[in-house]
Amino acid sequence: MQFCRAHSLDEALELLGQWGGDGCLLAGGTDVMVQYNSGAITPGAFIHIEGIEPLSAISINGRTTLGALNTHAKLAADGDIASRHPAVARAARLVGGWQTQTVGTVGGNLCNGSPAADLAPPLLIADAHVTLTSLNGERRLPLDDFFIDRRATARRPDELLTLIDLDPVPPRGGEHYVKLGRRGAMDVAIVGLAARLGLGDDGNIAFARVAVCSVTATPRRIREVEAALVGVPLEAGAFAAAGQALVAAVSPIDDARATASYRRRVLPGLLERAVLRCGEDIRP
Amino acid sequence: MTDDQSVPVRFTVNGREQELQVGAGETLLRTLRDRLYLTGAKEGCLEGECGACTVLVDGAPVDSCILATAAMEGREVRTVEGLSQVDQISPLQQAFLDHAAVQCGFCIPGILMTLTALLERQPSPTREGIETALAGNICRCTGYRQIVEAAMAVAAEETS
Repeated sequence: MQFCRAHSLDEALELLGQWGGDGCLLAGGTDVMVQYNSGAITPGAFIHIEGIEPLSAISINGRTTLGALNTHAKLAADGDIASRHPAVARAARLVGGWQTQTVGTVGGNLCNGSPAADLAPPLLIADAHVTLTSLNGERRLPLDDFFIDRRATARRPDELLTLIDLDPVPPRGGEHYVKLGRRGAMDVAIVGLAARLGLGDDGNIAFARVAVCSVTATPRRIREVEAALVGVPLEAGAFAAAGQALVAAVSPIDDARATASYRRRVLPGLLERAVLRCGEDIRP
Repeated sequence: MTDDQSVPVRFTVNGREQELQVGAGETLLRTLRDRLYLTGAKEGCLEGECGACTVLVDGAPVDSCILATAAMEGREVRTVEGLSQVDQISPLQQAFLDHAAVQCGFCIPGILMTLTALLERQPSPTREGIETALAGNICRCTGYRQIVEAAMAVAAEETS
């Protein structure tokens, strides 16, 4: 195996064009190196992109644009992310421990294609789009369409995920991410759920977005629940129909961490918890 | 992994410049232990879960078992060996002795590095801050209590 250092975006794209699927992008390495150590992947080359400075930027221009190399630690600590994307900041703090957050990147979290990617639900409720760049140009697609299956994304072998752009939480809106795990730290989600709400003048929910991870083969938005939440008052016990819509909309995975029926049991409660917590953050 | 291409890399370890040829997929933990004979950092899980291999890169804690050495070009690495001078251990290390914070000791080099990074950022962290910082360092002996007490004692020393 070779180790290729890309010092600029152009260099990275050249190397990707050259190596294609045999080249393995390496940023923080928190997933890649585990897979490499265990022999699960045997690439021809690591293409090391961690030092490409422009991809670590956060810029704000109506929407928020994140360079793919922003680390979890930076997303957890950044003031703009805290105010515009509180659920993203919270999810970033809940990934692994400090060591993982120091080097693990948002681009890696998405490209790894794990069903349990914690950053995915908070990005999905912000209508995130990803930009994929190659020597042939770039394309932008909704994050919802980026996830194809477990460990499979829409990224072509010669493409680099460069940017993620997203909508900030709106005025009279709130958002929250809840993660169910066995313990508070260093855990992979049994279920992760993010909700974003906006209230109407009558105080009821006027718009809602809900997304989950560790429930289906990929993180995804659940539009059926979003429809069921509209018009509902923001009070405990008001979300039974939305909870049912959520359970009806997914056929949960059965895996080492939990059974499908366990996931069905906990989903309505997690939805209510997330939605009520959104309400607490909405300023009247 | 023996067919790895050899890669030149230059970085500092505990302030000393190192120029090495390492395997393309070689981990920093392997380099530190087997090439530089710095055996403080330990191999626990080899998948970034337990924190026994924690070292500081540019002042921030990382799991060296899942970090490629070839990615360390120009970086500054610190290990537990760098905490002490010839006959002088760090205040945090002294606090670990004073509070009997060590049982088997396997996790301690990693825990010392994480807490060193915390105390450099925040000289007087809260108990909760200490506990959160240690989320990625697993200790199976002590139940963490004396470890947290030791860190609190250093923090208190700082504020007094």
